[in-house]
Amino acid sequence: MGYFSDGFQNAVGLLLHMDDATTSAISATLTSTGCALLIALTLGLPVGFLLGYTQFPGKRFCRLISDTLLAFPTVLIGLIVYVFITHRGPLGQYGLLFTIPGMVIGQAILALPIVISWTAQAVENLDSRCRETLLTLGASPVQVALLCIKEIRYDLGMVCVTAFGRVVTEVGVAMMLGGNIRYSTRTMTTAISLETSKGEFAQGIALGLVLLLIAFVINLLMAWFRRKGRLA
Amino acid sequence: MTPLFEARDLCKNYGGIKALSLPSFFMGKGELVVLAGRNGSGKSTLLRLLAFLEKPSSGTLRYYGNATEPRKEITLLLQDAYLLKETVMHNVTLGLRLRGEKHGLLQRFTDAMQAVGFSDPMAMADRPQYKLSGGEKQRVALAARIILKPSVLLLDEPTAHVDADSEKTILSSIAHILASGTSVVCATHDAGLFSSFSARTVWLKTAP
Repeated sequence: MGYFSDGFQNAVGLLLHMDDATTSAISATLTSTGCALLIALTLGLPVGFLLGYTQFPGKRFCRLISDTLLAFPTVLIGLIVYVFITHRGPLGQYGLLFTIPGMVIGQAILALPIVISWTAQAVENLDSRCRETLLTLGASPVQVALLCIKEIRYDLGMVCVTAFGRVVTEVGVAMMLGGNIRYSTRTMTTAISLETSKGEFAQGIALGLVLLLIAFVINLLMAWFRRKGRLA
Repeated sequence: MTPLFEARDLCKNYGGIKALSLPSFFMGKGELVVLAGRNGSGKSTLLRLLAFLEKPSSGTLRYYGNATEPRKEITLLLQDAYLLKETVMHNVTLGLRLRGEKHGLLQRFTDAMQAVGFSDPMAMADRPQYKLSGGEKQRVALAARIILKPSVLLLDEPTAHVDADSEKTILSSIAHILASGTSVVCATHDAGLFSSFSARTVWLKTAP
């Protein structure tokens, strides 16, 4: 266990001094995760809301598909996107492979079903009296929809935090589409994986601590949203 | 009497189940109509039809007010009132703001809250809805309807989940609303609740 405690001590030192490799991995992680989340939320929130709010033929089938995609293996997403953005692929001309934008595409696809399914679920869980109450107060259909969104704001906060947590901790997409290039596409998770395989535990533990801190903040936020949603 | 609602052979089905079967219904302006009947007799269904939340499966229902935008004149208080995850002030003034009315909100809020028995409305204004008791919620929801000065107020068992004091306050609020010229339809299990009112009772029978 000596190497573990040594690694932990070195990790604290690395974190305190923030060497370039550690800073770069944290920065790449937060950049790709942030962009992926933004895309997933922009596309997923309206789709999820419509899926939960409206009635249409094939709705149950659509829900089934989006729920199934929640279990989409990250490596499979990586593989599919890889096929598209590789130099011989249909999007090869854009040079996305082994870049942050390439990773963002894969991570957005990973986050999208979470955003869609959980948003739809939040809308479906909304008390049916809410819509009726708004209608009886004279709200127009658009006003009803907007106020329903406001009513589930804490659930939507949970959706964001959950999707962020899923993307920030994944390895498969970042490894396959980013290529784990130092000072470029190396994220915290791919760096931990690499450093561990090299026996360099210090940087791995340092990044692991940062990930743990992020997980802690995520859980704090989730607890806050859950509490607000329950009380409100 | 000036007619307000008139219905003939009104019928509402949910799936294959008949929820309401009413050969005829009439209501005049300014009237208090009490809908009485057993569970499943269609009281709530009739209120939902009168509120234009649903359409009848068959038969005709005619409203003699603003037929193009009836929801601007008719409002319904559900049996277990729903309040948005906001403050009392937000909930009570919501209907006015939805209609684009922004002036005199504070005064109208105070008047509506006093009409439902809150002696110090401003003390309640910033209270979040989850801190209200069942009776307070029901009265706040009633205030949110009164503030709109509706032509027709539909009430679904307004005293079902409240204590004796709140029941008294709600009944006195209904008297106040009637005096202002609003027509009221109230569904209740207890037809005797309105014995002191000049009300007309319509008995609904469970649809065959």
